[in-house]
Amino acid sequence: MSAIHEYKCPCCGGAIVFDSTIQKMKCPFCNTEFEIKALEDYYNELSNDQTDDMNWQMTSGNGRQEGELGGLNAYICQSCGGEIGCDENTAATSCPFCGNPVVLAGRLSGAWRPDFVIPFKMDKEAAKAALKKHYERKHLLPKIFKEQNHIDEVKGIYVPFWLFDAGVDVSMRYRATRVRTWSDSRYHYKETKFYAVSRGGKLGFEKVPVDGSSRMPDDLMESIEPFDFSEAVDFQAAYLAGYLADTYDVNAEKSIERANERIRESAENAFNETVNGYTTVIRESCSIRLKNSKAICVLFPVWLLSTTWNGRNYLFAMNGQTGRMVGDLPMDKAAYIRWLSGLTGIMGMVLFAVSYLFWLS
Amino acid sequence: MRLWNKRLAGICSVLLLSVFMISADFGLPVSAAGNLPRLTDMADLLSDSEEFDLSEMLDEISERQQVDLVVVTVGSTDGKSAMVYADDFYDENGYGFGDGRDGILLLISMDERDWYISTTGYGITALTDAGLEYLSEIIVADLSEGNYAAAFTGFAKLCDDFISQARTGEPYDIGNLPREPFNAVRNLAVAFGIAFMISLAVTGIMKSQLKTVRKQTAADNYIKQGSMQLTKKNELFLYQNVDRRKREEKSRSGGSGGSRTHISSSGTRHGGKGGKF
Repeated sequence: MSAIHEYKCPCCGGAIVFDSTIQKMKCPFCNTEFEIKALEDYYNELSNDQTDDMNWQMTSGNGRQEGELGGLNAYICQSCGGEIGCDENTAATSCPFCGNPVVLAGRLSGAWRPDFVIPFKMDKEAAKAALKKHYERKHLLPKIFKEQNHIDEVKGIYVPFWLFDAGVDVSMRYRATRVRTWSDSRYHYKETKFYAVSRGGKLGFEKVPVDGSSRMPDDLMESIEPFDFSEAVDFQAAYLAGYLADTYDVNAEKSIERANERIRESAENAFNETVNGYTTVIRESCSIRLKNSKAICVLFPVWLLSTTWNGRNYLFAMNGQTGRMVGDLPMDKAAYIRWLSGLTGIMGMVLFAVSYLFWLS
Repeated sequence: MRLWNKRLAGICSVLLLSVFMISADFGLPVSAAGNLPRLTDMADLLSDSEEFDLSEMLDEISERQQVDLVVVTVGSTDGKSAMVYADDFYDENGYGFGDGRDGILLLISMDERDWYISTTGYGITALTDAGLEYLSEIIVADLSEGNYAAAFTGFAKLCDDFISQARTGEPYDIGNLPREPFNAVRNLAVAFGIAFMISLAVTGIMKSQLKTVRKQTAADNYIKQGSMQLTKKNELFLYQNVDRRKREEKSRSGGSGGSRTHISSSGTRHGGKGGKF
């Protein structure tokens, strides 16, 4: 098996990449477009020839083996012969010398092979535009931050997610009251009836995502949800060409805890909503039994943008499928005080004037 | 020159008028101004200048409104009730304009710490029971604090206002009381308090717009459509209790309004209200 994959144009030999606008592979040099399937088949054919060649290259280079350098691995660029250094989770990157995109296909085989991939739909320009829009209509954002804005880095990265399917059995118990009031000529009455209310049932969850890469901040990844899984396609390594990609380093067993937390919360809420028609409801007990059935690994497209301001790093993420942009922004404290005092002053005067007019009328 | 002429003319006319008044109606005095001053400060609560100012004020309003405003302070009511003392003081000294002997008298007795407002003639019309209640609350507040001059001038001004209102045909009464003065400080404080709370909420929203990275709390997006099955839905009645609260009696106070009156020892009809300060 080839450890490294560089997709070359069968037409001109240039390095080709996945084009998100046409959802095909496209050669940036001769503009030829290829269907993913056709290209994969073509490379499968080709890789049969190259296996021997590759082995020979590997053995010739000081007998260095994969994994020998600890976390850091080195691959030889097939285009320029430069050494590509990357850590053990990298699945796709580009050659630091010639810039050609490379896919470390060997890293994505066997147990590490993702089941599906959602290809990028938004390109780099869309990500930059989205960031600009992200700054808009935020009155407390420091003006200098907006003006001095330079994006340090824009990375299109395929992030591995675990998707869990689960069924839950829920059984809940509540203490509820109903209050009725009425009056006769002499007394006001208030009648409180106490009930023990119970609810039980089933609820199914589909494809609850959990970030499978420890390198990506979990809250950032959860903020750009949801991804539309109906657009996912069977995994082909060619989709990764031109982007960065990681393999998962948090396994499904570990990730499932986070999925369960969220499932539990949703299940509780869903059943709480069935308890209505009472004046007060207090939950007394709750038991949720989860039956996780299966987990699949899917690569989700994410644009990561980072910028530095006042010595602090600001990281933004955009959903590469839906274009949803998130990222915390700094606050202008002076502007906050200005707005607070200004609004208080104006509204205070208006209210005072209104109260005077009321008095006059 | 002109000014001097005018003043001279004014003085002459006043002199002429007084001669007329004395000669025309000697038996039935138009006002008591000739007999007794409208301010009698026997308890000596006021300074000389305060006395002078108040006297002028009472005279001016009385003449203008044709209703005698009288303020009397005494050390003691000599065993009489404040009402009787006030009524008698009014009647015996011959206060009051016209046939109805229109007038209002405020009596302060220091030993008993009694106050009493006695109304006569048009005074009864102008100061209804509800009006007296309103008026006395303001005056008594000043009296209790020892601000006698302020209480008396307040009394004079309010009476002036009440009489003017009564002349329109609708005296201040239940449902038609003078409005409280506009409380600028309180309204300003409340207005800015509310404005600050709203501003805090608005800027809070602006602040929250800056923060978009949040952990998801639930997985509502991933609930399988139509997968929810409610297999158990029980409600078990445990017990009940009933609270009983007595209805508050609606106060039956004055649906009708107007003024209650009584007849004083000299046979004159008076209205009024009194109390302690």
